[in-house]
Amino acid sequence: MRDLLRDLMDTASTRVDYADARHVRLRQETVAMRNGELDELDTHEEEGFGVRVQVGGGWAFAAAAGSDRAAAEEALKRALAIAQAQPQAGAPALAPEPPAIGSYASPADVDPFSVPPEDKLALLAEADAAMRAEPRVTVALAHAQSRVEHKLFASTEGALCEQRLTECGGGVEATAVGAAGTQERSYPASHSGGIAQAGWEHTLALDLAGHAPRVAEEAAALLDAPPCPEGPTTLVLGGEQLGLQIHESVGHAVELDRILGYEASYAGTSWVPADGLGSLRYGSEAMSVTADATLPGALGSFGWDDEGVPAQSIPIVREGELRGFLSSRESAAEAGLERSGGCARGESFARQPIVRMTNVSLDPGDGGSLEELLAGVDHGVYIDNNRSWSIDSRRLNFQFGGQAAWEIVDGRLGRLLRDPVYAGVTPAFWASLDSVCSAGEWRLTSLTDCGKGEPGQVAHVSHGSAPARFRDVLVGSA
Amino acid sequence: MSDRAGAGALDLAQRALAAAGGRDALATVTRERSTMLRFARTRPTQATAVDDLTVEVAALRAGHVGRAATNRVDRGALEDCARAAVLAAETAAARAGAGHFPGFPAPAASRGHGGHDPSTAQLDPAAGSAALAAAFDVAERDGVEAGGIWTAAEGETAIASSTGAELSDRVTDAFMKVIATAPGGRTGYAAQTTVAAGAIEPAALAERAVAKALVAGEPATAEPGEHTLVMEPHAVLELLSILGYTAFDGLAHAEGRGALSGRLGTRIVSPAINLSDSPRFHATLPRAFDAEGTPKAPLPLIQDGVAHRVVHDTRSAAVAGAGTASTGHALVAGGQASGPSPTNMVLIGGGARDEHELCAPVERGIYVTRLWYANVVRPADTLFTAVTRDGTFLIENGEITRPLDDVRIADTALGILSRVEALGARSVLTSDGELYGRRFATGAVCPPLRAHGVRVSSSAG
Repeated sequence: MRDLLRDLMDTASTRVDYADARHVRLRQETVAMRNGELDELDTHEEEGFGVRVQVGGGWAFAAAAGSDRAAAEEALKRALAIAQAQPQAGAPALAPEPPAIGSYASPADVDPFSVPPEDKLALLAEADAAMRAEPRVTVALAHAQSRVEHKLFASTEGALCEQRLTECGGGVEATAVGAAGTQERSYPASHSGGIAQAGWEHTLALDLAGHAPRVAEEAAALLDAPPCPEGPTTLVLGGEQLGLQIHESVGHAVELDRILGYEASYAGTSWVPADGLGSLRYGSEAMSVTADATLPGALGSFGWDDEGVPAQSIPIVREGELRGFLSSRESAAEAGLERSGGCARGESFARQPIVRMTNVSLDPGDGGSLEELLAGVDHGVYIDNNRSWSIDSRRLNFQFGGQAAWEIVDGRLGRLLRDPVYAGVTPAFWASLDSVCSAGEWRLTSLTDCGKGEPGQVAHVSHGSAPARFRDVLVGSA
Repeated sequence: MSDRAGAGALDLAQRALAAAGGRDALATVTRERSTMLRFARTRPTQATAVDDLTVEVAALRAGHVGRAATNRVDRGALEDCARAAVLAAETAAARAGAGHFPGFPAPAASRGHGGHDPSTAQLDPAAGSAALAAAFDVAERDGVEAGGIWTAAEGETAIASSTGAELSDRVTDAFMKVIATAPGGRTGYAAQTTVAAGAIEPAALAERAVAKALVAGEPATAEPGEHTLVMEPHAVLELLSILGYTAFDGLAHAEGRGALSGRLGTRIVSPAINLSDSPRFHATLPRAFDAEGTPKAPLPLIQDGVAHRVVHDTRSAAVAGAGTASTGHALVAGGQASGPSPTNMVLIGGGARDEHELCAPVERGIYVTRLWYANVVRPADTLFTAVTRDGTFLIENGEITRPLDDVRIADTALGILSRVEALGARSVLTSDGELYGRRFATGAVCPPLRAHGVRVSSSAG
């Protein structure tokens, strides 16, 4: 395959300004038990070539299934045909990058596809049964995902690199139905559970069955819980909800393709200006954010991005001031950056790489433990897992809902509250951040449903954070 | 539907079925050939061509369905795929005891449709290039920037099952949208979805988008509270989409989680609302059968404001029991985890000539082109939140007078439809053009409408 891609790029080099090609082989599996029955035991395998060419200023990308020379050449041929049919445009420059050479594999102790399916079902069946012990749980769901992706990348600049990325994880969800409505609780998170770049050992370490009774109990308890009170108050976010807050209001907002207008037709633009580096105030001095594609175990980590740019750790916000963007080679060049931030990724062989988040994380602060953070709250609300999310196309005006909230009274967690929502405007919200817990509380959360691009692409990414405290946030009940 | 290409997909499905041993199994082949041209700032930025297929085998053992999929078509790959599906089902049967999936549907004749356009299936990139050029001409003439996509595709589905189904279907779809951005940052949107790429009118779309972006005047701000809204079909589409998975999902309904649980046969929205899933309605994106081979057929969902039916696949019908049968809405053989969903909703229009006539009686209200990031907050109540985008205007004394900063809406889809005052006479096929995964284009046919008392929670400007 290495020779095939090298030959393909040799062929392309005589006809293009630039070309690159990826061969991607993907294997993934979803296993789920629902109410005592198999819900899914799906495996999916695919492989193919994605070839991107730049000819006379026009970009084109073509994908063809398969692994042989004919498929690769067909993809190149169609990419050339489409590029030549495009309306002429000025040739976009690419930020310079030394050719990527080498190989990389994400850490994984146990190959998930070496684990017998009956073992996976047994693990999930135990968790599923534990949730159904709670009589008011109508739907119990226990699920696990495994994925291995092998990618080979080559370019007309001489790059040739190979990587293997393994992801595993899962979760449990309990849905309780009562006269007053429907309530859900999830562990460790509502968006596909907890997925990591790791082997099956990560799924086992989640201890789904151990957490299942609590999840079911909380879902049932929410049916009787009072609604979250309305009004401005102190909001403490943790876990998945804080990760999603970072994702939506920081991660997407600093994607350079959005800032430059190239996502205007779908995902949107950004309130962050291209000339804001070093001057734009994003939030309070307690806010520092880093985009790190080298984090072990995180879903946005890799050896190289899909343009052959090595993984980097980039400061995005330092003490509230904007310091960096998420960029590709093309967007970096247009914005005058010295090099790409290494954020170009394609969902599969059949999708063109675009700017995607690496692991955008809130740096730990000096707030100590969660208990110490809460101690500074006379009255407020704590939210962990996400239930609903919505933000405008410039990433300014948002409303999030949690699965549950806990009242904070006199520095301690109190009553369970149902249907919590909060709303805000991005810079004002981050300006209200007054403390972040210390490194001992810092955890990764995962998202495997981040949609962007046309045709649509779904990216997997992780966000690290420790619980954070925001003052005077508008909180209410859905 | 029986030419060489169709026969090829069906032959592949039959080979996959044979690899599964030919019993208690269903094999599906879905092929996508597509072209998408993307543009931003009035220049082409991406051009994507995809030619790929998926072979999926669903195997049934003791009421459990295991599935496996591959995009390889050699004999060994089909055997591996079939083996994985059978192993999954057998493992589940051994571990979890008897399941409740009753079996794949018996073969039934499906009707033909007009959802395939041979010219579109050519996927001529020059046609897309000409569309972009036409949109660019309009944008440059008026000093605005244009972004958007032009895309066309041919999709092919073949099903072979152990119950005797041997089906194939070919469809085409085309979509173009233009987002115009004026120098001051105001934006306008127009889009068109069709079976035939030749029907797309790129210059007309650009004209509409540009006109919205250039509506003059200082943007106003809406106060939180209840407002009368005039919603274009693109905004109405979001309401229907939300109902698709909160109200009409037969699995959620059978489990008591659905928004219509216990409410079928009762009035849930305005008597002016008549909504159906009508796969052969004029101007929809038709399909012959669902993912289990059940023929597509019209299904009334809401009649004169009264909740009438929900949609089912084989799995949700079994959960519902009491003789419930699939309505032909399976998205995956054996049932998608999230439940079945309508794919061809048609909302019958009313008497208003157009959006201007809908605005006419409004003393002060909001004109909405489209909704963005609509997400459900409480599914059982159809409560959602979304922001307006790309063409939000203030209506004063019956006319659009000036731009309005985008607003956040926090209301229930059923509530808005219960407060509908009037519907436009002209329904159009509307799609959001979001094409994730294997391309499966869907759209709803809907008119514009006017509703009062819509809850706006904040200005998003």
